Amino acid sequence: MEEAIATYREEAGELLAELETSLLDLEETPDDNELINRVFRAMHTIKGSGAMFGFDEIASFTHEVETVFDMVRNGKMIVTKRLLDLTLKSRDHITYLLSCPLGEEVDRSDGDEIIAGLRQLVPQIEMPQKGSSDVPVINLPPVSEEELANESTWRIRFRPATNILMCGTNPLSLVNELRDLGTAHVVAQFDEIPPLDSLVGENCYIYWDVILTTTRGEDAIKDVFIFVEDDCDIRIELIDKSGLIDKDQGYKKLGDILVERGDLSPVEMQKVLTLQKRFGELLVEQGIVSPEKVQSALVEQQHVKSVRKERSETPQVEAAASIRVPAERLDQLINLVGEMVTVQAHLSQVSMAGGDATFIAISEEVERLTNELRDTALNIRMLPIGSTFSKFKRLVRDLSSELGKEIEMETFGADTELDKTVIEKLNDPLVHIIRNSIDHGIEMPEARKAAGKTSRGTVYLGAEHSGDSVLVTIRDDGAGLDRDRIRAKAVERGLISATADVSDREIYAQIFAPGFSTAEKVTSVSGRGVGMDVVKRGIDGLRGTIGVDSVQGSGTTITLKIPLTLAIIDSLLVKIGKDHFVLPLAAVEECVELTREDIKNSHGRNLANVRGAIIPYIPLRQHFCITDQQPDIEQIVIADIHGTKVGFVVDHVVGEHQTVIKSLGKMYRDVKGVSGATILGDGTVALILDMGVLLQSVEES
Amino acid sequence: MPLNSSVRETGNIIITSGDRLTIENAAEFLQIIRDALEASKHVAIEFEPAVEIDITGLQILCSACKSAAVLGAIFTYHGPQPPALTDIIAGSGAERHAVCKHNNDSTCIWFGGTN
Repeated sequence: MEEAIATYREEAGELLAELETSLLDLEETPDDNELINRVFRAMHTIKGSGAMFGFDEIASFTHEVETVFDMVRNGKMIVTKRLLDLTLKSRDHITYLLSCPLGEEVDRSDGDEIIAGLRQLVPQIEMPQKGSSDVPVINLPPVSEEELANESTWRIRFRPATNILMCGTNPLSLVNELRDLGTAHVVAQFDEIPPLDSLVGENCYIYWDVILTTTRGEDAIKDVFIFVEDDCDIRIELIDKSGLIDKDQGYKKLGDILVERGDLSPVEMQKVLTLQKRFGELLVEQGIVSPEKVQSALVEQQHVKSVRKERSETPQVEAAASIRVPAERLDQLINLVGEMVTVQAHLSQVSMAGGDATFIAISEEVERLTNELRDTALNIRMLPIGSTFSKFKRLVRDLSSELGKEIEMETFGADTELDKTVIEKLNDPLVHIIRNSIDHGIEMPEARKAAGKTSRGTVYLGAEHSGDSVLVTIRDDGAGLDRDRIRAKAVERGLISATADVSDREIYAQIFAPGFSTAEKVTSVSGRGVGMDVVKRGIDGLRGTIGVDSVQGSGTTITLKIPLTLAIIDSLLVKIGKDHFVLPLAAVEECVELTREDIKNSHGRNLANVRGAIIPYIPLRQHFCITDQQPDIEQIVIADIHGTKVGFVVDHVVGEHQTVIKSLGKMYRDVKGVSGATILGDGTVALILDMGVLLQSVEES
Repeated sequence: MPLNSSVRETGNIIITSGDRLTIENAAEFLQIIRDALEASKHVAIEFEPAVEIDITGLQILCSACKSAAVLGAIFTYHGPQPPALTDIIAGSGAERHAVCKHNNDSTCIWFGGTN
């Protein structure tokens, strides 16, 4: 049960995210029936499954919201901003309820306030007059998707033995047991109650027609009657089954139902059909079928129609199309694949050393399979980044309203896939960047109009693939960064020298320095100079890079370049002395030789002439204080760091390497320039170098 | 007040329900109604608010309604329906909004029509 509850929590979380997206989309297109239906379905499933797993608070609260959206769905209400505000708050309240331990007391104050607000929105609808219709309105309780697969509708006629009451059995308790099995509509039949002169007061003359939709199967129905089946007349017929019987949303005609029930003969039906009147009325008029029987058949017709309508509106579960696996198991799989990649590297090394052709062939085959396994395993953890976009849409909506600005968010590339862990870690940086765009970037409507812009600002959030990385772009059409103010502030804080010739990019990069802020006042949204530092740390932690571009008056673009995965990377394995190091291949552009003569010619300035271009380089041997014998010819690995070409001098370039990233122990976590470690095929450890940080630390020193 | 009947000056008969119309006193209730409909063309029931009613009570009311229609008598109730009656009507699926052929094609005042 605990597992089922955990699954419910997880699924409800997804549904709430979908609900939020749909509500935000609905704000833009309030007449979109598909979106209205999507909102309704999400709440319907949250409610139905919630009730099933004991989340009664969620079920009862969601029911209220769902009722309102049912009215919207049926055209009795229109989508307004107030309705969307309240529904978004409802979504937050459901999230809160979901986080509360099952069975414990919850705070209902917010929920009550939301429900009161929703009730105020509901128009006073004229209730149908009693007696105005022969057929009661059938409202079916929700059914979860899983249940739908096994759901069947049964027609049960239960005619108790006349002396059943004298035997101490209450037939109503049996009818109520049937109700407990699912959704039931019960019609008592009175036509066999005799007039007073022949009535025996203690006898039972009533019999029942029950239309029951249940997932429990025929045996469960039979079990209800197990103690009375010998004396009672019980007829159980399957009239509808999910996916098997008549997929049409409609249902049988009244005459067909009555014929099936044995309440009308086919000949009688044909006779009545020749007359041009409502069939039920004709049957009653001619005294062929009693009104009770007609009513009972109409109830069946409505019941099955409702069940089918419900079913058609609920997305069908495609069996085995996808399965839900706990994230920890995937992490475990990735770890095992990582181990396998390491062992495979060892195998390749040993086989190559042995020189046995058969052994080498097997080793190559294992290598191929391991690579495929690695790619597949990593792909399993890939999720579309769009799953987080709805959160930011909500952030923009709420913050812009708080600050009195008119801002909309446009997204693109929601299908771009990234490792689940990366997406999770991207959340905080994106929140801070977007908050900054809203608070400092986008101007107030009047200021925008004065600047010749539309009063409504736009924040664009998008993602796209770029090699083995994903580019996440946050762009706004706001005021842009004030280059001079940033420079002045950076000079004031001693981050750059007053006379330094620095590019715009370098100046803009100062906004990521801890505590850096040009804001004149601190708002509840931003201005303390903390947020962008969080962004920098977050993106560094992902081994990503940040690019800032801005045009004053037109807006700012921040581009985050994030590796697809954090688990295994393509890298370049290099050697200095006896030690191996790993450089992420994504940034590596080329490798060139560095002779003693070249070093001598640079006069200690660590500059190399590569086909006429002067490239600064960092001699890693000196940087890491490696004192082994230096080779005559070294190698410069030239990489592109934030648009600048920089060389890293090593003894030998071993070659490309699949690096399984292992995090460093506590003691080594703060070592600058080293982002992790990996285990090589022979069991030795190689450090993974963070070229950006290395460059920065050398520049600072 | 116990289950009994009384004749008014108009000749109308009022049956008071007492605290139960269940299988325990079904025979007695049946007899009182039979006698009342034989004696008067207007029989009404006054329910105790807390009266208990089961299927037998429900059946007797239905049977009495049918018999009254045949006899051309009026069989009705005074005051509001007691909660026990509305509960058992709803619980047993006895609501009727359509006309009843046993009641001269009128809507049923007991199980869903208007009194």
